[in-house]
Amino acid sequence: MIRSLSVLGLFVLAACGQQEAAEIELSRAWARPTVGQAPGAVYLTIENRGGSHDRLTGAFTDRAAMAMIHQNEMADGIAKMRMAGEINIPAHDRIEMRPGGTHVMLEGLRAPLKTGDNFDLVLRFRNSKDQTVKVTVLRADAQ
Amino acid sequence: MTHRRLRTILWTLVGIAAACGMLVAVQRPSPTAEEAALASIGGPFTLTGADGRPFSSTRLDGRPAAIFFGFTNCPDVCPVTLARLTKLRRQLGKGDDAVSIVFITVDPERDGPAEVASYAKLFGAPVIGLTGSTAEIERVKQQFGAFSQKVEQPGGTYSVDHTASVFLIDRNGRFVATLSPEEGEQVALAKLERLVT
Repeated sequence: MIRSLSVLGLFVLAACGQQEAAEIELSRAWARPTVGQAPGAVYLTIENRGGSHDRLTGAFTDRAAMAMIHQNEMADGIAKMRMAGEINIPAHDRIEMRPGGTHVMLEGLRAPLKTGDNFDLVLRFRNSKDQTVKVTVLRADAQ
Repeated sequence: MTHRRLRTILWTLVGIAAACGMLVAVQRPSPTAEEAALASIGGPFTLTGADGRPFSSTRLDGRPAAIFFGFTNCPDVCPVTLARLTKLRRQLGKGDDAVSIVFITVDPERDGPAEVASYAKLFGAPVIGLTGSTAEIERVKQQFGAFSQKVEQPGGTYSVDHTASVFLIDRNGRFVATLSPEEGEQVALAKLERLVT
């Protein structure tokens, strides 16, 4: 009796510990055209269909020397751009990056971004494996 | 309480309300004081145009203008604001001549005439890009009460914190209102409509 109870207890414990993993899906990635040495900004939607949260820790692309996750803050009418650090992606939720907020900044572009260009952007997460998304450069009035 | 007493109390209240109203009316600053405060923002300036030649603000006279202080290495807020302005101008439906959109760099170190010229072309509609010496830019910032400050970034680069609002100037060069990024598009469009009529 005691043995069967402890086996049952182990099963219960195992069930509690087993969390559904995060399931990341990237979509609607776009950037605006750039000129000269100016950096670019990529916006995209990160959806977590899984049962546990994950954290966005970094971004990479062959198109630029550095890709950084940035956040705009508005304080007393002053726009401030800062590194965002890690971004939490809650379970069963989504993060939609929109102009004026969080974006992936591309510093040191190998060539300016032109309307119609496509390039790969890789996002790194704390738990999930790297995810690649195709970024499209959109015309100013199509954004 | 008798009717008479109630009537007395009510009339007393009416009297107090009237007195308060008069007091508020007297204390409100006169229109001339308000005008003076508005007139202290902006004023004539000379900077350098995208063609490398001096650009006098008198060239903006005769047409309302929306003036924005930003920098070309700004990947988000600046293009968002300029794209918003060109979109609002399209929504006005009075053509590109209805309002001049002016972009003044707060980063003259990196933004010469060539940089502001190519940046201004990104929006698919006429945008006047202006630069100048550090001293000239500082003077114009002061005239408009605009703020900017360099902030070091990792990797040896820098970003610039800056005023996010747009300054609306009437066709006589007088400051009228600001457009803030937070206000809705309807309010922004209404402000622009008032500016062009």
